[in-house]
Amino acid sequence: MSVFFHQFFSFDIISDNFTFVLEGFAQTLELSILSAILALAWGLVLALIRQLPGARLAPVRGVAIAYIDVFRGIPLLLVVLMISGGLPPVAEGLGLPRSIGIPNWLGKPDPFWYGAMALTITYGAYMAEVYRAGIEAVPRGQMEAARSLGMSHAQAMRHVIVPQAVRKVIPPLLNDFIALMKDTSLVGVIALIEVVEAGRTVQAESFNSSALTLGAVLFIVVTIPLARFVDRLLAGQQARYTRSGLATP
Amino acid sequence: MSDAFLRLEGVHKSFGSLHVLRGIDLDVERGSVVCVLGPSGSGKSTLLRCLNLLEPPDEGRIYLEGKEITAGRGDIDFVRRRVGMVFQQFNLFPHKSALENVALAQQTVLGRPEPEAAEKARALLDRVGLGDKVDEFPERLSGGQQQRVAIARALAMEPHVMLFDEVTSALDPELVKEVLDVMRELAAEGMTMIVVTHEIGFARDVGDRVVFMDEGAIVEQGEPAQVLESPRQERTKRFLGLVLDH
Repeated sequence: MSVFFHQFFSFDIISDNFTFVLEGFAQTLELSILSAILALAWGLVLALIRQLPGARLAPVRGVAIAYIDVFRGIPLLLVVLMISGGLPPVAEGLGLPRSIGIPNWLGKPDPFWYGAMALTITYGAYMAEVYRAGIEAVPRGQMEAARSLGMSHAQAMRHVIVPQAVRKVIPPLLNDFIALMKDTSLVGVIALIEVVEAGRTVQAESFNSSALTLGAVLFIVVTIPLARFVDRLLAGQQARYTRSGLATP
Repeated sequence: MSDAFLRLEGVHKSFGSLHVLRGIDLDVERGSVVCVLGPSGSGKSTLLRCLNLLEPPDEGRIYLEGKEITAGRGDIDFVRRRVGMVFQQFNLFPHKSALENVALAQQTVLGRPEPEAAEKARALLDRVGLGDKVDEFPERLSGGQQQRVAIARALAMEPHVMLFDEVTSALDPELVKEVLDVMRELAAEGMTMIVVTHEIGFARDVGDRVVFMDEGAIVEQGEPAQVLESPRQERTKRFLGLVLDH
């Protein structure tokens, strides 16, 4: 039993490496939040392209649909590896500045930015699907009323449809954020010292897993309250639907 | 070209294999109130939706103020600036207050500055008897109140003709009158109105003309007294018998 405790809950290992792991977790949080903001914006753009009206724009919609299908269907790790290994030679081959191929913006190392790109590209596709569900859940009459008042499709989307859709999808978007945050650990593979990679480094040096346990605790400190918050939002929505006498969604 | 305010010539509309409008000819004079009656599924709502190009007709022509609006892709802006519509299900914007519902399109479509749009919205809500509800959200309003906000919202765009699509059908009986009263006032002020309705009393009192539709065609039309009290067509008689008997 003490072997077990020593392996996963060694106080010495944890206290010796606390700052190192915490710095890794700071990297995890920064990468999560930045990628989530970018993916939220990119996902909305994709969802709006997908909703463009008219037969003439069918090819544009097709491109958005193909993009979403592809990036929902391939592993994030694969995208991370393709960008980190592919972007530098491609940027160089195209004669782009070095800061594009090997970005070190805002004092962050290039794996951070490759990770942010891969997470944005992949989670943009996931979030586009969430937005789509929200947009399609807004009753058709809303668009018709807006159009009958003379608003363009874009004006109706901006002022009428999207504000309602976003409210409906805040809980699933937060769920995606939790998943995104956990998936930042894949960027450790390209040598970003985020929290899991930090724990793994300690494990490799000390043959002890307690630093990873610390990493797990740090995740849970953030994800469990967030998950509870999502539950409460969902319960609130449920109650509102029930009260207004509409079928539960 | 046409000198009628609104003219339909041979309008057809299908949804897939369902032929909903089968050659509609209709003239509407400026300032008149035309009430459209008929059983459900007869194409009344589709007719209105063709008039403001929410559903573009497949065949036939529609002229508004002498201009053909069905030519090519149709001049949607020209039509929507002149044609207001009120829906059976109100379709108020639930995330906006009554005032914002009435002000939004004034700002986005007409480019009115916010204070001017809000002032106009207040005046219109006051006119439909909701001066004390300007800051309420739709879910806090009764069906009748919501429908009056929807009428104010359409009027804010200063339309030349108003389309009413069974606007009292989703209302509790005691709320119907407050909406019909607003529509009566509008008619009295000379608004051109096309009213799809099951309210025979309204058609008789307010309508200048009654149009009876069945199976996508106009079966008969004329003065309300004539169509409602001595219909020429058997189908009109049968329908009125069913409606008036209950």
